[in-house]
Amino acid sequence: MNHSSANPEASPKRRTELLALASLALFLVYSAYLFYLQVVKGNEYRNKATTIARQSRIIPAQRGEIYDRDYQLPLVLNTDSFAVDLVPAGLPAARRDEVFERLAQTLGIPLEELRRRVPPAYYHLYQPIEIAGAVGYGTVAKIAERLDEFPGVSWHAKPVRNYLETGSLSQVIGYVGDITKDELKLLYNQGYQSGDVIGKAGIEKQYDLVLRGKDGREYRVVDVRGKSVDSGPSTVVPPTMGSNVVLTIDSRLQRIAEKALGQRMGSVVVLKPATGEVLALVSYPWYNPNLFTGLGAGNAYARLLADPNTPLINRTIQSSYPPASTFKTVLTAGILEEDAFPPDKKVLCQGAVTYGDRVFNCHIKRPGHGWLDLEGALAQSCDIYFWQVGRDNLGVERIVTYAKEFGFGKLTGIDLPGEIEGFVPTPQWKERRFHEKWLGGDTMNLAIGQGYTLVTPLQVADMMAMIVNDGVVYRPHVLKELRDPASGAVIRRVEPETILRSRISRETFAELRRDLRSVVTSGTVRFPMSTKAVEVAGKTGTAEVGLKDRWHSWFASYGPASGPVEDMIVVVVMVEASNAWEWWAPYASNIIYQAAFANQSYDEAVDSLGLRYLVPRQERQE
Amino acid sequence: MSSLKKTFTDVDLAIIGAVLALMVIGILSIYSAGVTAEGVLVSKEYVKQIAWAALGLVLMALATLPDHQRYRDYSVFVYAAFLLILAYTRFFGRVVNGARSWIGVGEFGIQPSEFAKIATILVLAQYLSASEHESSMRRLVVSFGIILLPVGLILSQPDFGTSLVFFPILIFMIFVAGLDRRYILFILLSGLLTFAFTVLPLWEEYILPAPTKFLFLFYRAPYAYYLAGATLLILALAAWGYVSYKKSYYFWIAYACLVFAGSLGASMLAHKVLKEYQIMRLIVFMDPSIDPRGSGWNILQSITAIGSGGMFGKGFLQGTQSHYRYLPQQSTDFIFSIIAEEWGFAGGFVVFALFYLIQRRCAAIIVSLRDRYASLVVAGVMGMIFFHFLINAGMAMGIMPITGIPLFFLSYGGSSLWAVLLAVGLVLGISARRYRS
Repeated sequence: MNHSSANPEASPKRRTELLALASLALFLVYSAYLFYLQVVKGNEYRNKATTIARQSRIIPAQRGEIYDRDYQLPLVLNTDSFAVDLVPAGLPAARRDEVFERLAQTLGIPLEELRRRVPPAYYHLYQPIEIAGAVGYGTVAKIAERLDEFPGVSWHAKPVRNYLETGSLSQVIGYVGDITKDELKLLYNQGYQSGDVIGKAGIEKQYDLVLRGKDGREYRVVDVRGKSVDSGPSTVVPPTMGSNVVLTIDSRLQRIAEKALGQRMGSVVVLKPATGEVLALVSYPWYNPNLFTGLGAGNAYARLLADPNTPLINRTIQSSYPPASTFKTVLTAGILEEDAFPPDKKVLCQGAVTYGDRVFNCHIKRPGHGWLDLEGALAQSCDIYFWQVGRDNLGVERIVTYAKEFGFGKLTGIDLPGEIEGFVPTPQWKERRFHEKWLGGDTMNLAIGQGYTLVTPLQVADMMAMIVNDGVVYRPHVLKELRDPASGAVIRRVEPETILRSRISRETFAELRRDLRSVVTSGTVRFPMSTKAVEVAGKTGTAEVGLKDRWHSWFASYGPASGPVEDMIVVVVMVEASNAWEWWAPYASNIIYQAAFANQSYDEAVDSLGLRYLVPRQERQE
Repeated sequence: MSSLKKTFTDVDLAIIGAVLALMVIGILSIYSAGVTAEGVLVSKEYVKQIAWAALGLVLMALATLPDHQRYRDYSVFVYAAFLLILAYTRFFGRVVNGARSWIGVGEFGIQPSEFAKIATILVLAQYLSASEHESSMRRLVVSFGIILLPVGLILSQPDFGTSLVFFPILIFMIFVAGLDRRYILFILLSGLLTFAFTVLPLWEEYILPAPTKFLFLFYRAPYAYYLAGATLLILALAAWGYVSYKKSYYFWIAYACLVFAGSLGASMLAHKVLKEYQIMRLIVFMDPSIDPRGSGWNILQSITAIGSGGMFGKGFLQGTQSHYRYLPQQSTDFIFSIIAEEWGFAGGFVVFALFYLIQRRCAAIIVSLRDRYASLVVAGVMGMIFFHFLINAGMAMGIMPITGIPLFFLSYGGSSLWAVLLAVGLVLGISARRYRS
């Protein structure tokens, strides 16, 4: 092994000479290359450096437009607008204050804001800094006419989003804004750059990557001072426009649902159970997304953020509530499927029952509902029946299992950002959380959808979808298809995707549908659900939230009750307890079904149902 | 007292002269980098650099004082202390340019990784000088272990460039220490082949007009794994053949296979570890015009600045590329570009020659030394300066990839300046005492 170091004394010396040779070689090679660069090719580089340099300018891509399901009229358009830039180093120091003042005045922005955007640390920079966006043509023309008074100032086209449909759809569509530093950190690898416009909420955020398109570039040749040099045609890489987004939303239904809910804090979901398409998604209050573009956007946003009615929250997916009696649907499914209690066997409701040291009151006080079987108990929404059968026969574990079977406590996976999961409590959770045992009373609360359980309106809609689909739930979605902006050809169509497939039998679902139908024909909502346009089945809910005379009002329903599932729609209306008590959810649903199936407008539907005494004619409040 | 005086009179004046000249050039260039096109001075970096240079010279003088016989036994403690400091920096240090590489109070901070190089040189020298009778293989493995600790800590900061410097230090030192040449060749070949395999897929994708029909074998899973597996199989067979028959061609087959398989594996690892911007640097190293406004910008501007300098340059403070801010990081990574632009080939050549002079003197000192430890320390310092020069000057001229390694004595920055002055101080002290017994 050691044959190479036969002469150990001479070796280090020779080796060191080799190292010295290596550095000599490096010295010679580098010197030669430096000579080649500077002397042999020097002229070439000198020309390049002293006269020309390539600069590129971004040509922003048009953001894709957004349409409703008919693909007729756009809901969102791009309006031509400009952004004004300043190259700080192009502004002589002596004229800085004067030009700043003139700029602030012309653009209508405060001087401090301008100074904040161009701090002294930037004064030597040659990169243009955007000092104002959403500037109209008139203002730019004013600057262009007197360009010598605005050294270093330039402008570029920057289209602004124009939301034509500003009502409740704003919650679905969302809005755009300039990318923030935090967003840029997360998204830099996806090709986002500072100064980009990015979707901040709703569809605009969810499908930002397809909507934004790809910016183009224009290369021009400039001298070292940044002045354009005429050297033939400039190279242009044209921008690619973003894809057009077609929503599953039916504008007509959306508007009807919006008016049916009126100015009540709450939400409406209209879903096509056969595909998972969302036809209408209303959350009140809403906001006007056009406030976020243009000047003063920051203040508008701050006001909305501070509003106690939280208009920025989409209540259909971002708020959760106790499901109240709509949850009895889950219990009915469990009782039938598990054969936990004979459906024909009757239980006596006397209006109240004592358990432990507490008296539980049914919503009909003495004398109560009398003797009720399962169908009657669901129709009358009798608490006593579900308390007793839920606690003693079905049991908490199975209730929890069935709640999860219906998708509660899990995201539905709708293609909108910010969805919340809701919550289904378990005995183990209660012990961990409160260090208290799960008691029979907790099971009783759970059985009628009170207590710890929290669900979103969309989850309740999915529950109804599962019942009409014999156990299958398709992912709720608001994107119908993406279309090419130029040709209008469909690029991608969203196909139904199964997210839940229940093991509950078809017979149970059939029985459940009969029971839900009797809720409307002979049960709690037989008077409010007066429409003759379609047969409706559903379940009411009235959740106690600690207010004396106000409750959350639910109505989860579908129709036509006996029609093929392809024709059906699921309607869930949720009116919060913060509104004056009107038991409005079934009435709103009634109007929606009437208008949808009799093909009437909102006002026609109200009139033909004879509900005019409840709703004064009104214009939409923006 | 007389020995102290002797130390200062016997000192290597050529090295001192070269170091002082380089530092003066550096300060002038940093001053120039701080001047805008309108002739306004906007940066006070040159003032700080003067202060650092002055303090650094004091450090250098102090480093010449102790006899290396005294500090050689403390090498291990210095090394251990720096490992601890590096570990502390890794977790509690300050983040500068994306790497958690600084520690310090308020505005003052240092980069411990710069000084860890010197600590590593000292401990490597001690180990290699004390292990002369052990097998080359064993010495190589232990030496590798010694550098891998600081390299790992610095890589995790993450500071890829600084961690690379440890390898040339190792190569210079084990070469002088007399390790079997085959091992040194092995490291060099593996390093080059790893680099080649790393850029291969990028080269095929971005540079070649059309992909070849076979190169994907070297990088695409699972083919690359098959290839590595097959090579390892041949390796095993050859190793068995060598053990059984002691024929030297079996050894060389196994050797080649190991280099090949090791480099292939390392390149696949590199593609997993390297950040996107680092991959981009490798791509623009091959062709900067692929991304002329992005990653390729620095290289293109640097080459243009250097090339436009011509024979005698545009004159001090007259550079256009630099003063119009086309050239980025002119006071740190691309200091050489501003020198070459303003002083031309004449100035660049002088800088190259000064670096060569330092190297040549280091080599001469090593040859004249009888003490093995001392000669290894000098070899380590020589390797460090060699590599910084190779990478940084090459990067400025566009023939080395961008790694963010400063050019010693010239680049703006206290830590690297102090570290190299400290190292030069050690060399000067060793050389001044070389004829004493």
